[in-house]
Amino acid sequence: MTTPSSAGRSNFRRAELDPAVLRERPEGSDRFSGQQQASVPIVQNKDERSVFDEVFLPHMAEAYRLAQWLTGNASDAEDVVQDAALRAFRGIKRFGAVNARAWSLTIVRNTAYSWLMKNRPKAVVFTDDLSAAEQQELEHGGLQATRIETPEEIALFKADAEDVQRAMAQLPAQLREVIVLREINQLNYRDIAEITNIPIGTVMSRLSRARQLLIALLGDRK
Amino acid sequence: MSALIRENDELQMNAYCDGELDPASAIAFERRLADDASLKSRYNRLLSLRRAVRSLPQYELPPGLQARINSALDADRSTQVGLPDEPARVIQARRLRQRSWSLQALAAAAVLGAVIASAVMLTIERYDLHENVAREVVAGHIRGLMAPQPFDIASSDRHTVKPWFTSRLPESPQVPDLAAQGFVLVGGRVDVIGHDPVATIVYKHAAHTVSLTTLPSGQPVSDQAIAGYNVLSWSDGEFTYIAVSDLPSADLAAFQRAFAAASPAPEVK
Repeated sequence: MTTPSSAGRSNFRRAELDPAVLRERPEGSDRFSGQQQASVPIVQNKDERSVFDEVFLPHMAEAYRLAQWLTGNASDAEDVVQDAALRAFRGIKRFGAVNARAWSLTIVRNTAYSWLMKNRPKAVVFTDDLSAAEQQELEHGGLQATRIETPEEIALFKADAEDVQRAMAQLPAQLREVIVLREINQLNYRDIAEITNIPIGTVMSRLSRARQLLIALLGDRK
Repeated sequence: MSALIRENDELQMNAYCDGELDPASAIAFERRLADDASLKSRYNRLLSLRRAVRSLPQYELPPGLQARINSALDADRSTQVGLPDEPARVIQARRLRQRSWSLQALAAAAVLGAVIASAVMLTIERYDLHENVAREVVAGHIRGLMAPQPFDIASSDRHTVKPWFTSRLPESPQVPDLAAQGFVLVGGRVDVIGHDPVATIVYKHAAHTVSLTTLPSGQPVSDQAIAGYNVLSWSDGEFTYIAVSDLPSADLAAFQRAFAAASPAPEVK
């Protein structure tokens, strides 16, 4: 395994190495001082199971939706959600009582990637495997020559659901996850940054890039 | 147009489309949108992409999954051994771990010692911190009074203010309207205390403005007067509230009672 050369960008690898993935609280979940104290009474006064029921369960449908988009099929998604639920349950004490939705989806997202690495290693390319130039290209479209131009001639498309689905599946995993989190889960930039563990600026550039790619894939040029 | 400008345009257009531009930039962008036909058509294209993606059929939770997860959790709790399909080596590792419990106990004791030591340090630091918090909260109030209006979102409808907070902050308080008790909800703003954005609800009582800043619970400040403003602080399970106003402290206490009565501690989201 390579050492992640791009700390802060993407930590799928780290999540895989550390089975207690929850020990790394999502960025921002501890943004308030005094947070430690705040979380304690909630967990201590209640049974772990009921905390889990309040924190993770309400987001189960969304978790499944995300898992299905990240893995690409229904049975993998079921495995991932089940796995994620177990991880969440075992780590419920570490829930910081800040944002249950982002916390839950972070676990689902990390579980999906470690699950994919284990069971579908060929299906995913991780950011850490890319060279610096390739990363640059992924986020910013690279040099002029490789930019995706989406000139205005690309009309408003009449893509049916199947086309859209296919185009989404063609996106690189890092771009697909931001567009899914934004449009399907309808999260704001901050939550997306927290869940994917990348800076907000990177969320913005990946989103913009993902949309340009989708337009290029779906548009019919006149 | 240079590639860089183009790129910035794209980002701004995306942020506008996602409702993530601050109001001033959003208005500036809307002006450009009205003037620039090419930008407008690219923006429309973005909107139709959004429609296309959002109208995809939603994957529904398979009916049996919830039950399977429930039973997996029950099994996990009762046996403290993972799923049946968990690899043997994990279970073995767990057995090894159980054997070395005394070492664990030793480690736990060491960790506990460290935690207690750091908690003491934190408490000492926190004392100073809290007085700073009170000053910063009052500063937020004063800044609010100097601005054209003391809030970022003007609304007397709590159903507008609450979602506005929710979309900006990880935790947002209940926003009761206390007009019946003499405190009219006028809006909300985000203050920054330390480095953290927090929700401040703004009420009017006759000509007086009351700023109610909400911090994560466990950081009460002492009741005091700073720069001529009365500061009153209380906590419930979820938040520490700090009310700042030029009202006499008796009126501020009435405000606290009204707010506490109208705002039961919210459940965990």
